[in-house]
Amino acid sequence: MNHIALKMLMGDRGKYLGIIMGLTFASLIMTQQPAIFVGLMMRTFSFISDLGLPDIWVMDPKVQFVDDIKPLQDTKLYRVRGVAGVKWAMPLYKGLLKARLENGTFQTCNVIGLDDATLIGGPPVMLVGKLKDLRRSDGVIVDIDGATDKLAKPPMVPGGKPTPLKIGDTLELNDNRAIVVGIAKTTKTFQSQPVIYTTYSRAVRYAPRERKMLSFVLVKAMPGEDIPTLTRRIRKATGLAAYSRKEFIDLTWNYFMKNTGIPITFGTSVALGFIVGAAIAGQTFYNFTLENLRQFGVLKAMGASNWTLLRMILLQAILVGSIGYGLGVGLTALFGYATRNTILAFKFPWQLLAFGGAGVTLICIFAAIISIRKVIKLEPAIVFKG
Amino acid sequence: MDGLAKAAVSCKNVVKVYDTGGDKVVALGGIDLEICMGELMMLVGPSGCGKTTLISVIAGILDQDSGSCEVFGKDLLHMRSSEKLKFRAKNIGFVFQAFNLLPSLNAVENVSIPLIINGVKRQTAERQAANVLEQVGLGTRGKSLPSQLSGGQQQRVAIARALVHDPRLIVCDEPTSALDHETGHNVMELLRQVALHRDRALVIVTHDARIFSFADRIAQMDDGHIEKVVDSAEDL
Amino acid sequence: MLPKYTLPLLAAGGFAFGVYTVVNGNQPVPVAQPVAEPANSPFPTFIAGSGIVEAKSQNISIGTPLGGIVLQVAVKVGDMVKAGDILFRIDDREALAELGVRKANLARSKAAVGEAEASAIDTKTLLELIEAVTDRRAISTEDLDRRRNAHLLAKARLESARAQVLQTEAELASTQTTLDRLVVRAPVAGKVLQVNIRPGEFAPAGVGTSALMVLGNLDQLHIRVDIDENDAWRFRKEGNAVAYLRGNRQFKTDLKLVWVEPYVIPKRSLTGDSTERVDTRVLQALYSFNRATLPAYVGQQMDVFIEAPDADSAQPPMHQPDQK
Repeated sequence: MNHIALKMLMGDRGKYLGIIMGLTFASLIMTQQPAIFVGLMMRTFSFISDLGLPDIWVMDPKVQFVDDIKPLQDTKLYRVRGVAGVKWAMPLYKGLLKARLENGTFQTCNVIGLDDATLIGGPPVMLVGKLKDLRRSDGVIVDIDGATDKLAKPPMVPGGKPTPLKIGDTLELNDNRAIVVGIAKTTKTFQSQPVIYTTYSRAVRYAPRERKMLSFVLVKAMPGEDIPTLTRRIRKATGLAAYSRKEFIDLTWNYFMKNTGIPITFGTSVALGFIVGAAIAGQTFYNFTLENLRQFGVLKAMGASNWTLLRMILLQAILVGSIGYGLGVGLTALFGYATRNTILAFKFPWQLLAFGGAGVTLICIFAAIISIRKVIKLEPAIVFKG
Repeated sequence: MDGLAKAAVSCKNVVKVYDTGGDKVVALGGIDLEICMGELMMLVGPSGCGKTTLISVIAGILDQDSGSCEVFGKDLLHMRSSEKLKFRAKNIGFVFQAFNLLPSLNAVENVSIPLIINGVKRQTAERQAANVLEQVGLGTRGKSLPSQLSGGQQQRVAIARALVHDPRLIVCDEPTSALDHETGHNVMELLRQVALHRDRALVIVTHDARIFSFADRIAQMDDGHIEKVVDSAEDL
Repeated sequence: MLPKYTLPLLAAGGFAFGVYTVVNGNQPVPVAQPVAEPANSPFPTFIAGSGIVEAKSQNISIGTPLGGIVLQVAVKVGDMVKAGDILFRIDDREALAELGVRKANLARSKAAVGEAEASAIDTKTLLELIEAVTDRRAISTEDLDRRRNAHLLAKARLESARAQVLQTEAELASTQTTLDRLVVRAPVAGKVLQVNIRPGEFAPAGVGTSALMVLGNLDQLHIRVDIDENDAWRFRKEGNAVAYLRGNRQFKTDLKLVWVEPYVIPKRSLTGDSTERVDTRVLQALYSFNRATLPAYVGQQMDVFIEAPDADSAQPPMHQPDQK
């Protein structure tokens, strides 16, 4: 009967395409919108996730998310270093500083100060130059997006393309001279500001003078050390907040979830996509079944059981569901591929693949159930009516 | 084998009342009817006389309110629905007025449906279906979709479908009313030649007087009752 | 007309592309490796501190007792000096001129002594002549008294002239000392670490913003370790300590405690910035180390780990840290 079911489905091209379009649309919206959402949200903590080396981040207990800098005294570094189970602890400066561009405009930059000796916390990928070059005097490393866009030198002719920063170019950071010694690739951050890496002491020199300068202490646990235990120990010993990387990511994520409209906006569009997709696909599928009701009646009269018919409808639902899902996911992936080099946030984790699948499955189940109900209640006697 | 004496269908005092929003419509008001093996029985009468209801009961797709209707000695009313389905799938063939072919399936596939319902494998079923199509004179049109066939051809396909699983009873609902005279004639000839034999009974509901001559017996109905059962149209 | 398999194939392709995107787009970000491996504590429980290398003598900021224009700088940075070696000279012309005057004064006062001596002899002779006359009538009492007084007077003059010599000698010595003070010498044997003056510059006396010259004894280097006051109670004198060179943890050395500064001082920022930013106080411990094991320079920062009891289990030490 499966063959018959499939033939029945594909025989009616218009409806077949209609159902698939509905499901494709639903699947597209249910994966593409969340992908942008996830992309956007992942940018909120991309700074944390980019920094793969440390296990634990230590900061002021009042810090709410990664960009909420509440600096510490420099000696806290040594207190953290002295906690048992800490393999190493390194200072990290993170702050927004103004860079003055050649044409006189100012650009706020995210300045990251790395431990002078080890340069722990550097950018994940160096495109030009080496991280080590930061040891050169006045050296800074600029991220590629900043270098080609926001920090780029103004075009020679009005309306022309700006010249990207290259090694050897100078920047002016808070009236200090900085020389570009490297270009790095970093994951875009939420504010999409240019990122400038330099050493801790230099960053502190660039920064406006404050009593406390230390933004974070990055901690690596001893091998075999239990991270939660160690974070508790650091908290107890220093009175500071210590989070594992995951915890800090969650903290930042929750802050944005709670304090911004992003989840609601995207949640709404996902829900709308689901509803519209469910409506279109469910409606068309139901229509399709209604129109084929007589055929189902014929089959029923000829002795096909309800179970057989149910299987046929389920098979049809599964087929259109799979096709719609596949097409939707493909379109989302295509969208992601097309926008990969733009400012747009797009992240497609496997959970979204599953989420889209679950959504489409739900729609298909919903569509199949109302159709099956109709078919099961169907009296085969209708076949004798003209 | 004393085929003619053996009853294929035996209805006794079959009553069926439709309840349409308070109005009770008596569709069948105590029908007594016997159809024998090897017989082509026509049910005739004006619209709404209960012909369709009667064949629905006979075919086991509608339950009567009272009375008994035994098909090949089985009381369908008291059969479990799954058994009834199996019984129907195995023993009864249908020919409809509107052909009721599945539009997306070609002739062979349409014909093979009853076999597939009976659990025959697709390849076997389609091979068998092709043979039957040959018998009804459509051996070359096996791959055609119903929409590509004429009305007469479609009805032949429908007849092939009713025949393919070799049922013992074939129920036809106005098989010719959608066809012109000549085509209807051909279809009736086909039914008599191919479908009818000693181990099979045919029940044909029609009000097409032009085909009455093909009947072995004619039962005339009106208002849910059988007026009379005659042997030829001249006796009506 | 769409062939039967077009959509399923498209869908399969789409799904495959989706899976590819998932796999491809979620590759973990590469982990940036440190340029130099950070120093790890070799102890299970420890205090971490920042240390700065200094000379054993501590670093001596050389000053001058007298301000003046620098005439000559006798040493270069890196020169080894013995105690008493000349470091630099201040303009001494004025003192030299005064020396000449003093010398002349001395000569003159010495001449005055000769004169006074001669006068004393003369009066003595005259007195003796008259005293030799036995006949008292031949001489008048008045004459005798006069001669006696004259002799006494001459003797007193002689004493005075001699005192004058002593005075001018002292004055000469004073000028000599001034001259000496214009030559700044090494107080101890050591190495010249910094020279901040050049001939012609004015070297002010007193406490300046920067030392004129920094001298240190580099035979033995010390590491001064800052321990956060919050961790100070965990500090144990007997705890082992290890120092790592910043930037290359291959270079490490065991430390031996020399003494603990008895006074907890406000933290001097060791980040190289001279201004104080941090409102915490630190306990300073001085450690010595074997120079052969570590190519360290004076002023270099070190990562220091000092073995200490765990914060949870530690009991405060019963004894006070000794001085020196």
